[in-house]
Amino acid sequence: MSEPLTNLTIDRAVARLTLNRPDARNALSIALLESLLARVDEIETAATPPTVLVLTGAGPAFCAGMDLRAVLGDPAAGSTLLGLLADLTLRMRGLPAALVAAVNGAAIGGGCGLACVCDFVLTHDDAKLGFPEVDLGVCPAVVAPWVVRRLGAGRARQVLLGGGVMTGREAAQIGLATMSVPTFADLEPTVAELAARLSKAGPLALRETKRLLNALDGSDDADIVRRGAGISASVLATPDAQSRLRERFAPRA
Amino acid sequence: MVRLDIPGAVASITLDRPDRRNALTPEMLDAIPALVDRAARDARAIVLRGEGRVFCAGFDLSLCRDDPAGETMRSLLRGLSTAVRSLRGCRVPVVAAAHGAAIAGGCALLGGADFVITNDHARLGYPVLLLGVSPAVSAPFLRATVGDAACRERLLDSALISGREAERIGLAHHSTTDPEAVLPTAMELAESLTLKSAAALAATKAWLNEIDGTGGSYWPGMALGASLGLAGGEEERSMLPAAWTGGGKS
Repeated sequence: MSEPLTNLTIDRAVARLTLNRPDARNALSIALLESLLARVDEIETAATPPTVLVLTGAGPAFCAGMDLRAVLGDPAAGSTLLGLLADLTLRMRGLPAALVAAVNGAAIGGGCGLACVCDFVLTHDDAKLGFPEVDLGVCPAVVAPWVVRRLGAGRARQVLLGGGVMTGREAAQIGLATMSVPTFADLEPTVAELAARLSKAGPLALRETKRLLNALDGSDDADIVRRGAGISASVLATPDAQSRLRERFAPRA
Repeated sequence: MVRLDIPGAVASITLDRPDRRNALTPEMLDAIPALVDRAARDARAIVLRGEGRVFCAGFDLSLCRDDPAGETMRSLLRGLSTAVRSLRGCRVPVVAAAHGAAIAGGCALLGGADFVITNDHARLGYPVLLLGVSPAVSAPFLRATVGDAACRERLLDSALISGREAERIGLAHHSTTDPEAVLPTAMELAESLTLKSAAALAATKAWLNEIDGTGGSYWPGMALGASLGLAGGEEERSMLPAAWTGGGKS
């Protein structure tokens, strides 16, 4: 029996959800996104719903982004993939829990988008975060609403149009990360400390506070995220994007 | 007095009136949209820059001197709004090289840029309430860039801020120590943008414009209306002469 694509542990108030596809740097495939959505169902229906959700990745990467290799040349699959990411981000944002991204390594494109959905983003100085979509000919529209909410529209423009990646330290400087600890080894204790502190919140007070914050910043607007997914899917289907991706995925000599 | 150069993949739109610190006339502002259209058609990124020692000192308010009805001020405001919207709305990314000073209408032009490079000792701001002029026309763009709190502070407080402070609040994306480094830094960034997918950049820019409300005509139109409403009014007529009797700050 093969390893599950995600792992979920719930220890009293703290849930820990791990992307478990380390051989693919936890790239978001249709199956992985479906597994994550099923985990969100589990969290929602837990006998005692957790008040803290830590999201992290197995292996050296947090999440390398959308698994575009798997949907190359298949626009319908690309559209499904992006629609699932839109649904996952909306479902995660709506959880009555404080979301903590423990960015253990690379958080790229859609992977960095997942981090932006979280209330807290902890990383370390050597991690690489960013949105290189425009370098690859694809469009980060599906995650743009979350990036704009997290960074403000001005910085979001800089990051999404500028492409490339930044270090964890730079991510903390612009507010993409809540904080960046010096090394990977420092990350887990810092995450544990934050999760322990957050888990002391009254569940009802936390639920109401998140509900208000989500209403205030427009996070309840599912339509804009779904339209973003549609834009990302239509750009992904263009010949320009397909040829850039083919070149990218070509075996290197 | 506004020049377009397209030597390669990066187009430069240059405010070219250095003897007047590139002070903006209605003709200069009205020229910008057509230059932006051509640049967006023939190049893959635009650098907006100023010739001489500063980027732009704002409107040329000396033109408003013999115009008690405020027609010139209205032309300037309309021209500014249209120029900013054309930069914001074009399909290629826009990098502003704002060295030295970007004041009032000059700072407002930065609202059309996706990236702003300045230098640590540059002076930026909107000191126009002192002249009975409302900077409302800039509000939708500035608010999208720096957020609500800093937008209120910068539009309501006539003090200028340094380039370094502009970087801190997000009005500028990068501030260099050497003013001479502003243009090369902006060009380098623009060159790097030309290597990316033009289609993906255009789609992303259009989507960001839609998300932050700067791409539509509703808020920019409302904001222009608020500024226009004061042009030629009693307060402006009494306060505007400070622009040409006191230090000429515009």
